[in-house]
Parts: sequence; structure tokens; C-alpha cells
Amino acid sequence: MNRRQLYTGITALLACGVIFVLPFLFIFITAAKTKQDAASLTFSLPREWHLWQNFMEVVQTRNYMLLLAYFNSTVITVVAVTLLVLFGAMVGYVLQRRPSRWNAVIYGAVLAGLMIPPAVVPTIWVLQSLGLFKTISGMILIQVAYGLAFTVLLFRSFIATIPRDLDEAAIIDGAKPLQIFFRVVLPLLKPVTVTVIVVQSIAIFNDFTNPLYYLPGRENVTVQLTLYNFQGQFQTQFNLLFMNILLVTIPPLIVFVFFNRQIVAGMTAGAVKG
Amino acid sequence: MTSVVLEDVRKSFGSLEVIKGVDLTIEAGEFCVFVGPSGCGKSTLLRIISGLETSTSGKILIGGKDVTQAEPSQRGIAMVFQSYALYPHLTVGENIGFGLSLARRPKAEIAEKVKQTADILQLSHLLDRKPKALSGGQRQRVAIGRAIIRNPQVFLFDEPLSNLDASLRSQMRLELTELHAKLGATMIYVTHDQVEAMTMADKIVVLNGGKIEQIGSPMTLYNEPATPFVAGFIGSPKMNLFEGEVAEKEGCKTYGIRPEHITLSESEGKWRGTVRHIERLGADTVVFLDVERLPSLVARTDGDRPLSFGQTLFASPVQGKEHRF
Repeated sequence: MNRRQLYTGITALLACGVIFVLPFLFIFITAAKTKQDAASLTFSLPREWHLWQNFMEVVQTRNYMLLLAYFNSTVITVVAVTLLVLFGAMVGYVLQRRPSRWNAVIYGAVLAGLMIPPAVVPTIWVLQSLGLFKTISGMILIQVAYGLAFTVLLFRSFIATIPRDLDEAAIIDGAKPLQIFFRVVLPLLKPVTVTVIVVQSIAIFNDFTNPLYYLPGRENVTVQLTLYNFQGQFQTQFNLLFMNILLVTIPPLIVFVFFNRQIVAGMTAGAVKG
Repeated sequence: MTSVVLEDVRKSFGSLEVIKGVDLTIEAGEFCVFVGPSGCGKSTLLRIISGLETSTSGKILIGGKDVTQAEPSQRGIAMVFQSYALYPHLTVGENIGFGLSLARRPKAEIAEKVKQTADILQLSHLLDRKPKALSGGQRQRVAIGRAIIRNPQVFLFDEPLSNLDASLRSQMRLELTELHAKLGATMIYVTHDQVEAMTMADKIVVLNGGKIEQIGSPMTLYNEPATPFVAGFIGSPKMNLFEGEVAEKEGCKTYGIRPEHITLSESEGKWRGTVRHIERLGADTVVFLDVERLPSLVARTDGDRPLSFGQTLFASPVQGKEHRF
């Protein structure tokens, strides 16, 4: 490594530190402050460390609302991501492997899903007429609908890299179409499946606006909506708000740290023929 | 023991007809090789027999039963692909037993059969490995094992050796021939390599442009090619084929003589030429001669014959070995 590379590297690291690490540090130290201390919103160490007290208060607020929110968000995320993986892989497989007149129509629908912005009020009408408004299952379907287009495209390009000979070998071995999909193709989609799981679960878990529109009601609260507990029109309890942010940030962070490598593999695997 | 019969099989992709009416009978237990240049339809024909492609018209009979509309798994066939098509996420044992596990056979039976198959192919010590940890030849054996275990009536091979290096290829040729002798099953083998065709086949089917040019045993095709195409395709280096004035003089449309049926002399002969290029192969030497009024003449001679570029040589065909079409 020459001198120039060294300096560039250090500069890049510093920039990343400022952009990514400093905000997180700010959240952490503010979450450990007392109410008065946090109100000034300065980047300084807390005068008294109130980490545990703040944590307990955030958890207990409004009759343990945060725990209910964790439960709701987890259910929505797990079910929605499972459906996304299953349907995304199936649609991607059919689009890639079975050319027919319908493919262009399906592909058009997938692209429309990416390009046309969702309209909130008509969606609420639809949900109401189906009896799904204000229900967790309605929210799951919304998340699946919003994420499916991207997922299908990702799976489709990845499936293109799996040799067709494998399907044909399975056909010769006597596999039925569903057996080919579940026993040969799906296991080979692991890298892209991990990518979809990570990208979509973080997006769905962190989603604020969609639950706000489609999932009103105290019993339906999701983690991002608990942030409103400590934020009012006239007063904001910054120490508790930041503690809440910290707690909400941790699960996606863990998912990301663990699957980081596979995400990159999955993102690039479909891009270039290897 | 099962025969395979094709009756006027045709296949079109859109308006392009790639198989133009093939009639063929492959006897039970025969090792039949489809050979021909790229794009002649040999792989397509194999895929039609396997059921992976449907024919546009015509009939396919396997063991006397019409299977034209049958699913691949119901035809009693097994296929080995050029790319091996091993399932990368399964171990060697699971790959071999995949067909049986799809058919929901009991686990003990699968394990027993996998073991028997692995013993035949000397794969027993590799059963727990994944395909990526195997060499090319071992992968090929696993692919063959996956075919054998289903106890098929007909084996189909789609250029199975073309991904192997030369020495491994000749070893696998021997193994496949021995396997054929051991199993006694009908085998259909597609290749563009005429060495494979000549060394392994009981019967060679030469295809050209979606049609059969000639069917026969390897030596029949070598000694009595029916068309200039077959004459040029079988044998290496390929036969010298001349048209026009030279052929007219010989009383035919195309005149052919194999390089090994040409004698070279320093003093006299039918054609006078100068040496343009010399290929030393060890046992033999291939000489390319520039001859007046001939496109080029290739002759095969002894390995250690002294030759030099630009040297003048006389070439003569061996009597009775000439081909006139």
C-alpha cells in the first residue's frame, strides 16, 4: 500500500465514521441521559448514566406497548417475508423458465408494481371492502404487494443463472413440476433468498408510513409507531425517544451484521454470468 | 432388452424444420451413436427420444410401445447430460438416489441401491461429497450412476465426454464400452467426435442438416461411405475430396481418396506436388501438398520419414481404395 492509498483509506474511514457511527453514538449517549440533560440535544457524555432506568421506562410505557409492538412487527415481518420469498421465487421461476404469451403481461404487471406509486385512500377502500382494514393480515398483504415486484425481478435474474439441464435431469428422474421447484430450484436460490430476507425484513420491520395508514388502533401498534409515545406537539422526551430508537434499531442491525456477506453475493450473483 | 424405433420423425421450431423426417431402428442392446456436425439435429433427435422435446409429427416406439406422447419418466429411459447436470446442493449419494427418493421408495432400499451403483462405478468412497468437490471424471461417473440406478431400458448420452480432457476421455470411452457390455442395455450416444463414434458404436447414424446421411457399422462407413459428406466426416485426417475437372477425369462427380491410401514417392506418381506443411504425430506424419489444379492434397505417411518444406513429391492413390460418388 503506498502513501496515497493509505491517506485515501483513512479519509474514507473517517467519512464513514462521521456518516454512520457518529449518529449512532449520539443516539446511544442521549438514550443514557436524564430528561433535562437530553433536552439540550448536545453531543456530550451524560452527567448521570440513566441507561437502565430509561430502558425500563420505555418498555413499561402505556402498559408495555413496546412489547406488543415488537410482537406485531415480528409477526408482520416473518409472515410477509415468507410469502415474498415463496411467491417471488415461484413467479420468477415461471417467468424465466416457461415462455408463454402471458409472460409479457405478467412482466408488465411486475414493472408496473415497481413504477406506479401506491395510492393510499383507494387501497384503504379495497381493504375495507375485503374486511382487512385495521388487521394484521391486511398489513401483511400490503407489505407482500409492495415488495413482490422487486423480489420477483431479483429471483428471475438469479434463476437465469441456474442451468436448465438441472430441471431436465429432474424431469428425466421423474420429478413433477412442484418437485422440481421445491427440491431442485429453491435450494439453489439460497444466496438470493438470503438477500431478499434481509432487504425485505429490514424494510418491513422499519416501515413507518404504511402501518400508520393501514393499521390504526392501539392494539395494532408496530415498533416504529411507538416512537410517537414520547413525541408530542409541545413536549418531547428526547432521552426516552432515543432509547426507543435504540431498541427498535437493534434487531435489523443484528440481521444485517449476520447476513452482510451473503447479501452482496446474492445482489451480484444474477448480474454477471459466472 | 428394448429396441427404439423412429418413424418419420419431424421437428420444427416455428417455420424452421430441424429434423426432416427420420426413420430409424435401433435394435435391443445396441450401442448406437448419432454423429454429425454442429446444428445437424443430433441432440434435438435425442431430446425427442427422451421426451424433453416433442416431435412435430412422426412416431417413437420404445420396446414396441408408442411413447410419442408419454412423459420422459414413463419412457423407461435415463439420460446423461453434457454438463452432467448434478444437483449442486445434494451429496453424491443423494444425487444418485434422487430419482428413487422422488418415487418415495423406502430409505433402506434407496441406500442399498445407491451402494450397489456406487460399487459398479467405483464411487463408494465419495458418497458423502458434494459435486463441487469432485473431478470432471468423477462427476461424469455420478451422472452415469444417476442413470444406472433407475434400471432404464434405454440410456441416452448427450455428448457426455466433451468436457473432459483427452486422456480422461479415452479412459471414459473404455469404461462406457465396458458398462454397455455389462448392462447389455440399449444405448444411444450423441457426439460430434468421430473418434468416439468409431471406437464405441455398434451402429453409427450420420446426420446432416436434419436428415440421416447413412447408417452402418463403423467400418462400413469408413470403407463404403454412401455420400461425399459421410466420406469427409468419418476418418481423420479427413478424406481428400475433389470435384470438377479431376473428378470428371475419373468418371464421377466427386472423387475421394483417404490420406492413408496415398503413397508418396520422390521419383514418380500420379500427382506432382510440393510440401506445404508437415504435421508430425509420432507414429504417423501428415503431409500437406500443393498440387497443380488440385485444391490441396493431404497424405499420411510413416512417422520418421525425412521430409522438408518445399520438397517435390509424387503422390499416387492405392488401387481399389478410391471412392467415386
